[in-house]
Amino acid sequence: MTLINLAFKSIINRKASVLLTLFTIAISVMLLLSIERVRQEAKQSFSSTISGTDLIVGARTGDIQLLLSSVFRIGHANNGLSWHSYEYIKAQKGVAWTIPISLGDSHKGFSVLGSDENYFEHYRYGNKHPLSFAHGRPYHNAQEVVIGSEVAKQLHYYLGQKIVVSHGMGNTSFHHHDDNPLVIVGILEPTGTPVDKTLHVPLKAIEQMHGPKHTGTHLIGRKSHDDAHDHDHDHDHHRHNNEALNSQPGDLVGKPKQITAFLMGFESPLYTLQVRRNINTYEPEALSAIMPGVTLRELWGMLDIVEKILMLFSGVVVLISLLGMLTTLLSSLNQRRRELAILRSVGARPHHIFTLMTSEAILITALGCIVGLTLFYSLIFIGKGVLQAQFGISITLSMLNSYELLLLGVIMVSGTVIGAIPAIRAYFYSLNDGMSIKV
Amino acid sequence: MIQISDLTFSWPGQSTPTLKINNLHIKKGEQLFLHGPSGSGKSTLLGLLAGIHTAQHGTIEILNENLAALNDAKRDKFRADHIGTIFQNFNLLPYLSPIDNVLLGCNFSKRRQANLKAINITAEAQALKLLNELGIDEDTQHRSVNELSIGQQQRVAAARAFIGQPELIIADEPTSALDADNRDIFIKQLFEQAEQYQATILFVSHDAGLASLFDRKVSLKDINGASL
Repeated sequence: MTLINLAFKSIINRKASVLLTLFTIAISVMLLLSIERVRQEAKQSFSSTISGTDLIVGARTGDIQLLLSSVFRIGHANNGLSWHSYEYIKAQKGVAWTIPISLGDSHKGFSVLGSDENYFEHYRYGNKHPLSFAHGRPYHNAQEVVIGSEVAKQLHYYLGQKIVVSHGMGNTSFHHHDDNPLVIVGILEPTGTPVDKTLHVPLKAIEQMHGPKHTGTHLIGRKSHDDAHDHDHDHDHHRHNNEALNSQPGDLVGKPKQITAFLMGFESPLYTLQVRRNINTYEPEALSAIMPGVTLRELWGMLDIVEKILMLFSGVVVLISLLGMLTTLLSSLNQRRRELAILRSVGARPHHIFTLMTSEAILITALGCIVGLTLFYSLIFIGKGVLQAQFGISITLSMLNSYELLLLGVIMVSGTVIGAIPAIRAYFYSLNDGMSIKV
Repeated sequence: MIQISDLTFSWPGQSTPTLKINNLHIKKGEQLFLHGPSGSGKSTLLGLLAGIHTAQHGTIEILNENLAALNDAKRDKFRADHIGTIFQNFNLLPYLSPIDNVLLGCNFSKRRQANLKAINITAEAQALKLLNELGIDEDTQHRSVNELSIGQQQRVAAARAFIGQPELIIADEPTSALDADNRDIFIKQLFEQAEQYQATILFVSHDAGLASLFDRKVSLKDINGASL
């Protein structure tokens, strides 16, 4: 019978306290891995919000503010840039494509983004993924709207439905452009980016909402009427569906004076710095051009402290669970003195006792890690839907990466080191107690 | 086998010695009954024999090895290799089966394992053989140690002392929990085991009634020159 075998049988004999210790370690391993995995995936999905765009151009402002307002729809741009400047820069040498963006309106808490057909053609996220449609198609004229997956899901919108877009951000607004109902012609696939929570309309639709013809004040009181109206549509939306999707192509851009920002792609990345310098020194208007990748990294750097606090917390949880194991091992040591003395009396040397005690700690830590891993994967399996829906973080059930393996390794080593403390005490006990079995 | 000469032992801080033995010789294969009422220095002598205590004066030689001359590790090894001990309270590990408890006896001694190899038997087979000969049937061999009767536990403890054929068996009051009939049977079984390979038995008890079963009896009171 080997020592490991002996350690195992001894553990089985004290299963209640050992199981409790094991479970504490398992939970801490699960917590650590989950927090780390969510952190990594959040970082990943954060930096994959936009890709393939070489420059984002807006009115002169802070880099991060421009990125937040144009890509994340957080905050708002103080100024727009003139359509004239947009047309001018667009015509520069090396520009492959541009996507104009007009923000500032909202629909039931979701942002409304005005653009043109280039948006669906050139916008990229994640690993240069284009936007794809779950249902329907891009807009063809100023009476059509394409909605993100979350918008469709939360508001239970369907193709062919007519909706009203209001002026200003927020859930309630004093203006309702209710004489400009838009037809939903497309619903995008989930992307895990702010696109999911956006309604996409042609620039012309934005212009129409704000046009002089519609500046009259409409009170929110009209809304109940709208709802009733919407309700009527519910009954026959299939008919509407076909009717709407067969619409005539029309002008998407109109004659905008201003847009919020625009995204640019170049024929070669070599143009990026040159054009950026030109834009930043553009005379007629004060503009800023940012490289999204660089600014994303800057932004994530600002969130560094949150990241560090999260790591600290999970580290402390692991530490507490290991200290818990130490407490259990030390307190059981007194009860085990007789057991250890018996082993001594049948010829076990103090170093055998030491090995027995450390192998027990290693066994508990290893089993704790395995159970913790199982819990971790179960948690991810159960929680990934919620994370995707609530926070737009997509988590995959992938194998452990090298960083996570390293974390497990650190836990194993710490468990072993901590297990050595009672083992050393037992070693000296057995030296002193010798063969006399007193307890 | 055992040679004690001019031994004086006193506990630290005590001026009068607890043990003072001029000469005690135990031959190989002998079955010695050491009678010692409580307080006669019995436990102290056993402690000295096991090498837990060291005498201030005189020598103890077991198998011609002076215990005092060995360091702790060597003494541990010597004890594990050459001495099997049967305790008053058995000292079985409750979480091991009777067989595993017996196997513990040779688990930590390469010499005892080698002894078994020399007589061409595996440790498991030897454990089963010992248990059978000591009257633990197969059914009992697989039960939990806690479910065994006191007599059965003592037999398991005896089997553990004998496995791997250590030269010296020290039995410290092993029969105090047994009734007279069981006690006599148990002692006879010990002798049978010892005779199989000429083991020496040092049987210590306060119960003078057992003396008649042994070849030789020594009263610790008589040989202990310390004034108690």
